[in-house]
Amino acid sequence: MATADTEPRTASEAEESAAAGPTTGGPAGGVGAGTPDRRPGSGLLLLGVVLALAIGFAAGLLAPGLFRPGNDSPEAGFARDMSTHHAQAVELSILAHERTTDPDVRTLAADIVLTQQAQIGIMQTWLKSWNLSPTSSQPRMAWMPDGAGTVRDGLMPGMATDAERAQLRAATGRDFDILFLRLMLNHHLGGIHMAEGILELTDDEQVTALAQSMVNGQKKEIELINSLLAARGAR
Amino acid sequence: MSISTSGGEQRRPSVVSTGKKAPAGKAVAEKTAEGGPAAGDRAAADGRATGTRPAAKSTSKGRVPAGRTGGKKSRQRRPVAPVKVGHGRSWGTIGIFVAVGLLAAGIIGYGAYAVILNGRSWEEKAAAIDGIVNYRESDPSVIDPLPGKKSHEPGPQTYKINPPVGSTHNNAWQNCMGDVYDAPIANEHAVHSLEHGAVWITYRPDLPADQVEKLANKVRGNEYMMMSPVENLDRPISLQAWGYQLKVDDADDGRIDEFIDALRVNASVEPGASCSGGITATGTTPRDNVAGDTM
Repeated sequence: MATADTEPRTASEAEESAAAGPTTGGPAGGVGAGTPDRRPGSGLLLLGVVLALAIGFAAGLLAPGLFRPGNDSPEAGFARDMSTHHAQAVELSILAHERTTDPDVRTLAADIVLTQQAQIGIMQTWLKSWNLSPTSSQPRMAWMPDGAGTVRDGLMPGMATDAERAQLRAATGRDFDILFLRLMLNHHLGGIHMAEGILELTDDEQVTALAQSMVNGQKKEIELINSLLAARGAR
Repeated sequence: MSISTSGGEQRRPSVVSTGKKAPAGKAVAEKTAEGGPAAGDRAAADGRATGTRPAAKSTSKGRVPAGRTGGKKSRQRRPVAPVKVGHGRSWGTIGIFVAVGLLAAGIIGYGAYAVILNGRSWEEKAAAIDGIVNYRESDPSVIDPLPGKKSHEPGPQTYKINPPVGSTHNNAWQNCMGDVYDAPIANEHAVHSLEHGAVWITYRPDLPADQVEKLANKVRGNEYMMMSPVENLDRPISLQAWGYQLKVDDADDGRIDEFIDALRVNASVEPGASCSGGITATGTTPRDNVAGDTM
């Protein structure tokens, strides 16, 4: 086969055969000369390709780590701090869900518990996918400009104090409902402040989408809370 | 981006040297040795290598065939060849090669550093804390259910260590929403909080008030944290997570923050389990099945 292929070609390309002709070693020599001619080149080329593949592979492994939010990024700070902020809303609302006898308050409480607990799961999953710990030695709110100054007694904006939580646990009936609604109103205002804070700091699509939904959802709930307070003569 | 750039630069020098130096030289020597006529091929090959170099920069496809077919079609272009093999160019190429190499090495090096730094697992962080006891490894019987019991049992339980870091506990957990309890709490509930991922700070009742306040500041406002005094502690302060314990003498000890950073939430054996809705009452008698006392 190889011979059959070579012969017609040499025949058709007469000039070349003629030029190389005199020595049968011509074509053979050409091949022979071509091979060493290529060998070092192809060796280098191979090395280059292998190197390029290795670099590409390493870069592919490492590059995502360079582009996802880092440990001290606003996104990570928001995910951690908002998880904590949400966790207290869940605590207050699960208490309200159990204690209240008012159907409107109970429905609101269930809505807050289920929504915010799910959102905690989303934010914790971000941290996992960013290869970051859910914990940090960074101070609370440090990701927001002037955020650290808004922390009082270790509590982020809108969070109920230990005294307020104890007061709520001790309250009953209409007093309980009104205290719960007021605490949640403040809690939402603080939460909206934080969510708007991250919206100014990030371009991350997931973070922006969730933070915006928090702003929208909690603003609507504030309207509801205000109307519930008004209906109970506590506006 | 760095991938294609570095790959392209990587290959370029190999072309240059193939066309210009050793390979060409060798080819000349061999061909000359075999028979004179091949000389034209050489010049042409050189010419092609030189001439096609700029065009070949972008793709490897364009370059390889050029080199391979050099011997056949090159004759017409012979005259161009010998003159243009400039040594000056190689410095630029080498410079670019080195620069790109350094850049690639820098990017990869930084990436590796960042990944390794961030990638340290919580177990590794915990293991690095001086004096920490990891009962998950050293003595699993401390966290396994008590002999003959299930993991959840009502009523008082007897634990192997004080304070406990695992094992059988009550169905109700102690509220661990940054709660600072000013009196001892029931181990049977506290252990359940550890199972949910809480770090429980305990201190000897004789710990000075300013030290107690420093500890409370690490707890307040943080879910998956709680704190209470414990009788008969052998050291002033003891930190617990599920399967882990660290005892220290001073609230300013830096290992306290390291313990919290490594193990809070992370040590949970029920990821996602909550600290809300737990028992907020103090007292060492477990309160499971106490009517109206779930919160």
